[in-house]
Amino acid sequence: MRSALPLIRVQRRLEVPRRVSAAVSAVFILLSFAVAALIFELMGVSSIATFGVIASVFTNPNLLLQAILRGLPIGLAALGLSIAFRMNFWNIGAEGQLYMGMFAATGVVLLHEYQGLIAEPLVIVFMVLASFVAGGLYCALSAALKAKMGVNEVLTTLMLNYVAILFVDFLVYGPWRDPKGFNFPLSIQFPDYARLGFVMGSPSYEGLAMLLVVAFLVYGLMRHTTLGFEMRVVGESPEVAKHAGISYAKALIIGGFISGGLAGIAGFSVVSGIIGRLRPRASPGYGYTAIIVAFLALLNPWLIIPASIFFGGLIVAGDLIQASLKLPFAAVQIFQSIIFLFIIAGEFMKRYRIIVSWR
Amino acid sequence: MRGGDSREILVEMRGITKRFPNVLANDRVDFTLLRGEVHALLGENGAGKTTLMNILYGLYRLDEGEIWIKGRRVNIRSPRDAIRNGIGMVHQQFRLIPTHTVAENVILGLKEAGFYLNYSDINERLREIISFYGWNISPSARVWQLSAGEKQQVELLKALYRKADILILDEPTSVLTPQETTQLFATLRKMAGEGLGIILISHKLDEVMQVSDRVTVMRRGRVVATKPTRETNPNELANLMVGRPLITSFERLNKPSEKPILRVENLRVLDDKGLPAVRGVSFTIRRGEILGIAGVTGNGQQELAETIAGIRKAVSGKIILDDMDVTNKGSMFMIRQGVAYIPAESSKCVAYQMSVAENLVMKSFRYEPFSKSIVIDWNSIKQHAERLIDAFSIVTPSPNTRAGNLSGGNIQRLILARELTGLPGSSAPKLIIATYPTRGLDVAATEFVRRTLIQNRDQGAAILLVSEDLEEIMMLSDRIAVMYRGEIVGVLEQREFDVEVIGMMMTGAKRGEAA
Repeated sequence: MRSALPLIRVQRRLEVPRRVSAAVSAVFILLSFAVAALIFELMGVSSIATFGVIASVFTNPNLLLQAILRGLPIGLAALGLSIAFRMNFWNIGAEGQLYMGMFAATGVVLLHEYQGLIAEPLVIVFMVLASFVAGGLYCALSAALKAKMGVNEVLTTLMLNYVAILFVDFLVYGPWRDPKGFNFPLSIQFPDYARLGFVMGSPSYEGLAMLLVVAFLVYGLMRHTTLGFEMRVVGESPEVAKHAGISYAKALIIGGFISGGLAGIAGFSVVSGIIGRLRPRASPGYGYTAIIVAFLALLNPWLIIPASIFFGGLIVAGDLIQASLKLPFAAVQIFQSIIFLFIIAGEFMKRYRIIVSWR
Repeated sequence: MRGGDSREILVEMRGITKRFPNVLANDRVDFTLLRGEVHALLGENGAGKTTLMNILYGLYRLDEGEIWIKGRRVNIRSPRDAIRNGIGMVHQQFRLIPTHTVAENVILGLKEAGFYLNYSDINERLREIISFYGWNISPSARVWQLSAGEKQQVELLKALYRKADILILDEPTSVLTPQETTQLFATLRKMAGEGLGIILISHKLDEVMQVSDRVTVMRRGRVVATKPTRETNPNELANLMVGRPLITSFERLNKPSEKPILRVENLRVLDDKGLPAVRGVSFTIRRGEILGIAGVTGNGQQELAETIAGIRKAVSGKIILDDMDVTNKGSMFMIRQGVAYIPAESSKCVAYQMSVAENLVMKSFRYEPFSKSIVIDWNSIKQHAERLIDAFSIVTPSPNTRAGNLSGGNIQRLILARELTGLPGSSAPKLIIATYPTRGLDVAATEFVRRTLIQNRDQGAAILLVSEDLEEIMMLSDRIAVMYRGEIVGVLEQREFDVEVIGMMMTGAKRGEAA
């Protein structure tokens, strides 16, 4: 008996080889471009011209430097997330940890400006440290709740995002508002010594160096230290850790601290490298994009670098499309969202195969 | 084949080949099942029995070959296809929902049951089947209230309700008491009498001899023989299965010394739900002695072993190791004291995503030479792994292979290698807690595990052996304590060992009543 409708079934793939995984990702990114092209055409814009603009981001050296800069917070946060995800700690809170990092970095600048406690060349060092600690503690809070009381980290990390974002809002609308800023909700402009790029002249060069150093440290931590070993065992299962005499709580809290700390540094890179001051909603969702980047890079620290630059490039391309092709900002957001959506769909296709049969 | 050869062929599998990465799991396998027979599929772990049956049940897809069912060529792509073809499978781990009733579990996923469930009709049919086979379960009982044997009956009920006439049972006796096993075999014979064809996956020779009509022996993915059971014998089957004769008894080299290594006094422990699991247990184990703990799973053995290993907290009572009070000192402390623990489920102590080498140092990676301060020395870990892989004959492509890719027997070897080696610089373990160390293992791996335990005993280790396999416990133990509902109902000396007595005690009868 042959019916008109095909039978569609979803079957779990038993194993996912790396090659399949990479191929699926590539196919889905191309597919997303195709759908995006369709939408551009519907809006009356030449899709070829649009993709020309997007491609130029990765071929034009100046734009590429921009892409690296925009990819910097994404990459740093994704590196942190790769640690958390390896521990099976589903940290959705990189965005909030990033805001705490921005808060701490700005705090150091203000402290120096108004109290002058720190030597000028050391300010940037303290900014990095402070943002690491702030982001780290913020994430360690969720890790401790999970380790000690079994509270689901997805809920706590996600909800703490809103707390952090509103906390920064409060600061820039209130006590940290620039007195000479015509009442705009902005902090004071950071002095040069507090800006990324002060040493090498370009925030992109320093940012890339920072990404490479952090990737190296994360790789070394996970692969070559006893702590990384413990964290990987914890990711396997709390039971296995217990049987091996590893403290689940300790590893989870330390790992959570480092994960959030890197998101905190990502926050530093936003205020110090990209904006140069603190303002409300300073991150357009770098912390969420980092989740996608971490998975796309298969939690591999080295792959996170190109993946984050790619996503940084998409942000730059969005700005360009908006300016040069007179598309509304919403169209750019649609374009970026389509790419995200397809990558997530690709993740599904890596785990399952779809079988269509006529019977 | 207690009838003629002219019976209908229910299943014919021809030239089945199945490849996994690096492994040829089934190599041109031919297999037939006749109506009304119990056909045993015998072989070691990794011989390909379960793979073959998973192909028949649609869990795996075959790479080459043909499946014919009742004379019709079929293409089985999922369990749904298999069920449609009258195939039922009872897995080693039950696929039941504990909080649902028997009837709900039976109709779960059954499209024919329709949208509106007529429970009185369903229960009526279930009762008919239950009474026909002389079982004792009620369709409205909740599954969590049932014993392992009864849960298995629910699984059989699922297949029978779907009118399956081809029934696959994967190691069905591994969770049963001797009495429940006898009952299961009676059921299987009755089903065969009703015209069902039954495939019994097993590696236990005595069971195969006892219940089957024909036996197919597999080794390394190939069928080495198919014979009528009455024309063969256990020795021949063992030879076919392993490729060499087996050691079945162990000699004792020296007597256990008088020095107690482990003293447990009036120990009380709660289970995961906070209910009393171990209620006032006391015993001692001496140097070079094996104390067997017999009992049906779930009577507190697991909790007892975990508490001694430092993984679970005791509510009251004392654990004294070598004259030192070690109660509630935690697992790391016990590891350092030379306590080795072989858990019942390898999933609790093996990181499947991590490599064999990493798993082998899972307890010792903090110590030199495997790490210096916080930096791991991969070279020495790799050398260590190569040594242990060699010493314990772990079959693995390389030390860097993921542990999850190893077969069950090799994972057990890996655990033994890690546990029995101890920390760097320390001697062999003082106390070994082994829970169900050979569960699910094939004959060769079982023999290896037992021999290793005996070797450690002879070197002076005290061993606490928890097992359900009475044959094993009687073969290895110097004394046997029987546990029932968290208490030790009696301790037997070696000369008093008797299957019947222990079996009775496992159901709660005190020593006097049992004898």
